[in-house]
Amino acid sequence: MVKRYTSLAYKNADDMIFGKSVYPVKAELGLEVGAGYVTGEVNYAPRPEAGVSKEKLVSEYRRLTTDIMARAVQVGFPAISLETEHVEQMTNNPDWGGEVAHVQKTIMEEYHEEYGIKTALRHTPGDIRENRDLLALIGAKYDTLMESFEAVADAGADFLSIETMGGKEILDYAILRNDVPGLIYAIGCLGSIDMTMIWEDIRKIADKKGRIAAGDTDCAQANTAMFIAGGLLDKNLAHTLAIIARAISAPRTLAGYEAGAQGPGKDCGYENTIVKAITGCPIAQEGKTSTCAHSDVMGNLVMQCCDLWSNESVEYHGEFGGTSVQCWSESLNYDAAMLNVATETGNAKMLRDILVLSDKYRDPQGYVLAYDNAYKVAESIAKDGDDLYLRAKNAAIACCDILNDADKKKLVMSKFETNALNDAKAALDAMTDEADTFMSESLEKYKAEVAVFRPDDNYKF
Amino acid sequence: MDVDPSKILVRYNVAKEKAQTPEEMAAEMYPSAEPAKTICAAIFDGEEDDVIEGLEKAIEGGADPIALIDDVLMVGMKIVTDLYDQGVIFLPNVMMSADAMLDGIEFCKEQGGAAPKPKGKVVCHVAEGDVHDIGKSIVAALLRAAGYEVVDLGRDVPVDEVIAAVKKESPMMLTGTALMTTTMYAFKEVNDRLLESGIKIPFQCGGGAVNQDFVTQYELGVYGEEAADAPKMADAIVGGKGLAQLKEQFHKH
Repeated sequence: MVKRYTSLAYKNADDMIFGKSVYPVKAELGLEVGAGYVTGEVNYAPRPEAGVSKEKLVSEYRRLTTDIMARAVQVGFPAISLETEHVEQMTNNPDWGGEVAHVQKTIMEEYHEEYGIKTALRHTPGDIRENRDLLALIGAKYDTLMESFEAVADAGADFLSIETMGGKEILDYAILRNDVPGLIYAIGCLGSIDMTMIWEDIRKIADKKGRIAAGDTDCAQANTAMFIAGGLLDKNLAHTLAIIARAISAPRTLAGYEAGAQGPGKDCGYENTIVKAITGCPIAQEGKTSTCAHSDVMGNLVMQCCDLWSNESVEYHGEFGGTSVQCWSESLNYDAAMLNVATETGNAKMLRDILVLSDKYRDPQGYVLAYDNAYKVAESIAKDGDDLYLRAKNAAIACCDILNDADKKKLVMSKFETNALNDAKAALDAMTDEADTFMSESLEKYKAEVAVFRPDDNYKF
Repeated sequence: MDVDPSKILVRYNVAKEKAQTPEEMAAEMYPSAEPAKTICAAIFDGEEDDVIEGLEKAIEGGADPIALIDDVLMVGMKIVTDLYDQGVIFLPNVMMSADAMLDGIEFCKEQGGAAPKPKGKVVCHVAEGDVHDIGKSIVAALLRAAGYEVVDLGRDVPVDEVIAAVKKESPMMLTGTALMTTTMYAFKEVNDRLLESGIKIPFQCGGGAVNQDFVTQYELGVYGEEAADAPKMADAIVGGKGLAQLKEQFHKH
């Protein structure tokens, strides 16, 4: 039985800052995360044709890792972190992922030995637990996934991460139907149940191999909502609904820490500031430097409490300024240098607040994720931390309340956003306070409505 | 510390929001006659039961069930998709309306004992190795809402299966979606295999990592930046546009 968080790691929202966490973690080659400085975390994807064979993939990662390390020392950066998000071949064939991790870590060791540069390697196996038509969270694919974690940990990956898919079969249905109870069931309940199962096992592997069980993200769900919501003029999803999904994702991501994760949390978890308030564990974040992968409406704000600063993902290819990984790693580490100067000169909180205010009123999503409001969402989660359902519902209600209480002259919402928010709040107000009732009713409802929902095969209720 | 945000950002969505509500705009577009008006309103509201109830009344009044599909259900759905294209309503509204309309079509088919002729047939799939299918589901729903028959092959579809389906179904268009750079590479193989078989239909490709530069590397590829481009592309094909014209229209970058 895991121990749930029922209190926050920080006494005040204002205590939260970039580069510092309550519980830093240290990697093999000297990099500490959350220990007082921010480091760039470079993410990359192989070119499409590189996936045809193990040899080509390994070669691709050898080249891009060398490029990143070479640029880091050329520009004089003291530290750098690399994240390899697996393409499916690397997880389905654990020896592929293991070989890539080995090649990368060997190059990083060489640079560490020659130049003293602090560095760390994160590997993120893909969540392969799906068949053609259905989720397959438990069973043979789970075993292969764990073999993949073992292989990359053996080969030198310092941080173990994943972007799990639990609950996504319901989310994909609910998000396109403005179904707020469905979001709570998918993300807050099913997602957290799956997270609890998988992160206990990842932690065991990390402990056995001397690695760090880092963290998860609700990429599969809250980011799906954020991407469907898109920009200000896109008409695919109300941004108020997207931020409600995000708020609900925080207790889901939290479940990973409760089951053994230690940070740094995954970069694309925009919910991470809420999670950091509760756990005190370091987090990676992405924003203005992840425009190579996707757009968002809070590119500066999300830097507010980061410990690693990421670019999400960029395809490996040539640019005018070198290869893409060199260009983006340079941008990331210049940002990190700026943040670290702010820390060294005693101006960190000033810079944090400037970053936040540049985006806080740009969109309802940024408003709720601003550290002062994120802290309020965190408090609502911890209040009923032992109840997966209630804490997810609390997060959604806190999100609605924060938006409704906002200064309307500063956070100006469209009628559509306001109407969607009012509808969501009404749906939340109509929900039960009894977890058992909600779970049994939701089980019946979605078994009837979602053809691909196979609860007995996928969740240890 | 706080700031007056008016000098550092513009909420263009608020500035451009129309004075009329979506409901008011839709009401102006409904047919004046009953029960078509009530059925169209039920489609707009995404209320399946009300759609069926309206159809029952129409059929009791002597309407031909199959004719109701084109004359009423498709009219109601077009109001929804037009308002979506104008940026007045959002995707979940379209999805819920499409659910209601499709229930209505099934009801009419049962009552009439026949099936209407679709505007055309489209085969949809997610690339081999890729299980991210919400984009494909949206594409399929929007195509069905626009009156097209969709053969949905699902996700992680092997190239052989895509080719076999195209040969069997003879669609006017094939769609492919992918989230990852490595899985979208399958689109090139699909393209080559179709050409080897002498099949030259537009192959609309889109999704996460897919971009116009990649899609232009193979002959049949037409880049769809938004899911909403799918029915527009199908309409363009029905209107007689060929591959070159489709690329001219949809390759915006």
